[in-house]
Order: sequence, then structure tokens, then C-alpha cells
Amino acid sequence: MTQDAETLGTMLARRGFGRRSLLKFAIVMTSSLALPPSLAPVMADNLAKAKRQSVIWLSFQECTGCLETLLRSSAPTIDALIFDFISLDYQEALMASAGAAAELTLRQAVAANQGEYLLAIDGSVPLKDGGVYSLTGGRSNVSMLEEFAVGAKAILAIGTCAAYGGIPKAHPNPTGAVGVEDVISGKPIVNIPGCPPVPEVLSGVLVYFVSFGRLPDLDDRKRPLAYFGTTIHDQCYRRPFYDQGKFAKSFDDEGARQGWCLFELGCKGPTTHNACASLKWNNGTSFPIESGHGCIGCSEPDFWDQGGFYTSLAGGSAAGWRNAGIAAAVGLAGGAAAALSARSKSSRPPEDKP
Amino acid sequence: MRDFNFLADDGLVDAILSEIAGLLQTLITDGHSGSVDLLGLPLSASCLAALEQRLGKGEITAILTAAGKSEFRETSFAGIWWSSHADETGRVAAMLIEVALVPQILLADLDDMRSGHQRLLEATNFSRQRKSA
Repeated sequence: MTQDAETLGTMLARRGFGRRSLLKFAIVMTSSLALPPSLAPVMADNLAKAKRQSVIWLSFQECTGCLETLLRSSAPTIDALIFDFISLDYQEALMASAGAAAELTLRQAVAANQGEYLLAIDGSVPLKDGGVYSLTGGRSNVSMLEEFAVGAKAILAIGTCAAYGGIPKAHPNPTGAVGVEDVISGKPIVNIPGCPPVPEVLSGVLVYFVSFGRLPDLDDRKRPLAYFGTTIHDQCYRRPFYDQGKFAKSFDDEGARQGWCLFELGCKGPTTHNACASLKWNNGTSFPIESGHGCIGCSEPDFWDQGGFYTSLAGGSAAGWRNAGIAAAVGLAGGAAAALSARSKSSRPPEDKP
Repeated sequence: MRDFNFLADDGLVDAILSEIAGLLQTLITDGHSGSVDLLGLPLSASCLAALEQRLGKGEITAILTAAGKSEFRETSFAGIWWSSHADETGRVAAMLIEVALVPQILLADLDDMRSGHQRLLEATNFSRQRKSA
């Protein structure tokens, strides 16, 4: 049996994994994707029958941080096997070939998987001056994106740069950077923002796509609802202190030592949608707030231009801020607005399914 | 992480127990199993502990070792199972209340049985060939 014809179930059996392992994986993934537990056997069956999914990954105006975090995310578990099952047909930083050979690989992969491949993009797309600020093989990113989006079944915009322009788009945006959805229309696009994005979110999206042949439900910013449906603040273990009006005023005061809320130190948790507080980082070790630093809101559009990481959402900065009562009142209003916003996004119908 | 007890109220536990009771009724009358994803609910550690205490411990505990350890414990209510799935690093990746005769994952899979049967036949043939050689 050729590698391309092999199903995931066959591959797992060949490597010594029984169906229980696949069902367990499906139970974990349905929980992660906020799907009903009763869908786990269906997902396991679909995964067992699934063939290799072609992924063509293009890197544009980026720092390679997204790829780094995704590569270093997996423990040697069944998750890693799922990634083995993805046929990563083109990725410039990982592939051995270069130059004309790489160009040929790309052409062949696109031709062989026309209409079926997933196009993964990391990095923003510079548009100014004809897109000359980021070229691959002499071609502008925008030109490549427009060409290879045509044959894609769906597009994954990985990281905040690909999703919304990210840091390259920060004021004064010298290269005219934009996100994928500012260039491409009429194609299913899923944004997986974060600087870098949470690796498990990419796993979840890939598994959902391979299992059900379409993208998961998305919010109004095209992010997977299961992971971006609530704010960091809504899931934060420091939230009770916020509700009680107990805020750290500096990073080394008694409040900080007691684990009080970091709102006044600039935490952007109330307006940031992501899964950091539940999935955490480094195999579930912790997330920035648990390590004592506020959320910087890196999964939201234009996060770099939101007035400073240490300026509170209410407009003050802790060092000169004396009126904690006002802060708490404004913060509570902001939190309520953010929670309402999250709920309204959750209720929107899913968009752009292939 | 500290447990702030902020959602540890009896009302939440009662609501979950009520849902479980409904699932058990369905299992009894229609034979359909069901489950509740505990990690999908905003439960604090103390709330989980309260739920676990209310459900109590039954007679059976099963351990599954596949891609990490999973534990299935029947509660003091027959047909209601507390299932916990850890990954290979030991982190709990899924926690469910399953309402079923037995959690489905514990049942032997037909394809796995076919594969095992084939391996058994091959082993038997190999053994016969060795004896005759």
C-alpha cells in the first residue's frame, strides 16, 4: 500500500496503536473542540477511514516563531502521529530542497492535490510598492497567495500576522502589511491568531477538518469558536480577585504576591479571545498571567497599537493610579461588555464552510 | 493554582446531577448511553470534588493504558461512570461522566479482534511449522 492510499486507522495499527487509542484521542479532541462527547466515536471512525491530507505551507512576512512553537509542541503521543498523517508537501524552512527544486516541488504538490489541499500561511502580506518587501524566488507574497489560494480547499491563517497583519502592520506599517483575508475572498479561511498561536488550536482545527471535511464553527473574526469563544478574563483563575476589586498595583507589591488581578498593570485579558488560560503552554505548565505578567492581547487585531502593554484597559497605569475604586468600576463595566461581546460572537452562525 | 471556590455552589452540582439523572433514565428506558464533559464546564476543583463526593464510589475501577493512563470508576449509582483520561505526560486531558452499561472504550473493537485473531493464527502456524521441521 502506498503512503498516500493508507488510511489513518491502518497507519496507527501498523505502528501498534489499537482502536482504543484512536477513540481516546477522539474523546480528548471532542472535549477540546467543545463538541458533544457523543461525537467521539464518529470522529474516531472518520479519522480511521481518513486519507492523508495535503498541506502546503507558505511563509510570508514573519519571524518563524509560529512554526517554532508548533514544531516544539508535541509530546511523542498519538497527536504526533496525526501530524505525521498530514502530508506537509511544501514548507520552505523544513524541506530539504531549495531553489528550482523547491519551486518544482510546490508546482507538483499543487497539481497533485488541486482543489483538495489546505493552504497554510504564516506571516503578513505586504502590499505597498507592489509587495516588494517580501519575496520568495523573486515573487511577491501577494502574488503567490493569489495563485495558490485558487486550488485550496481552505486556508489556514496561522498566527496574528497572517490573520490580521500582526506586528508588521503596527504603526506606521511601512510595508503596507495586511492579513490573508484582506487579500483573498470567496475561500473558506480560518484565522488561528496568537503571537505565537496555541499549538493545540492548530491540532484541533486539523483534526476537525480531517474528521468532518470542513472547518469548525468560527466567530466573526474567523477564529475557531471552540477556542476563541470566551475571553482570557472569563477563564482566568485570578478572576475572583477582579470581581472583589483586588488589584496588584505593581509587579512586586503585596497584591502581586497574593496573586491578585493584573488588570491595573495593563492585562488585556478582558478584551482578548484565546484559549491560553485553559490549554496553557508548554504541555499545560502555565500561561503568562499565571507567571505574573498580564495578557498582552496578542490574538486580537492591531494588538501592538492598543496603547501600551502596561496601560490598563481603563486608561490608567498602575504607578500613578490612586483611585482603585474608579478602576474597579470601569473594569467591571469593561468585563461585562467583553463577556457580552463573547456571547454575541458565540451565537453567530458559522461562516465559510467548504 | 489556587482554588478560589467561586463556583463551588450546591446549585451547580445539583444541576449536573439532574442532567445525569436524565441520562440514566434514557439509558434505562431506551438503552442509549450519554455523557457529560466535565472539562467543558466552568467547575472549580472544589466543585468537582463536591460532585465526586455526591456520586460516591462503586464496585468497579478499570484502568486503560493507551496513549497515557485512563481510569474508569463506577460511582455508587450503577451505570454512572467517572472517566478520566490522562495523556502520556500525566496531564488530565478529558474528564467525563459516562452513563452507560460500560464505557464504550473498554469494549473490544471488532477490527482489533480480527487483527488479533489473524496474529494468533499466524503464531499457531509458526509453532506447528517449527515442530514439524
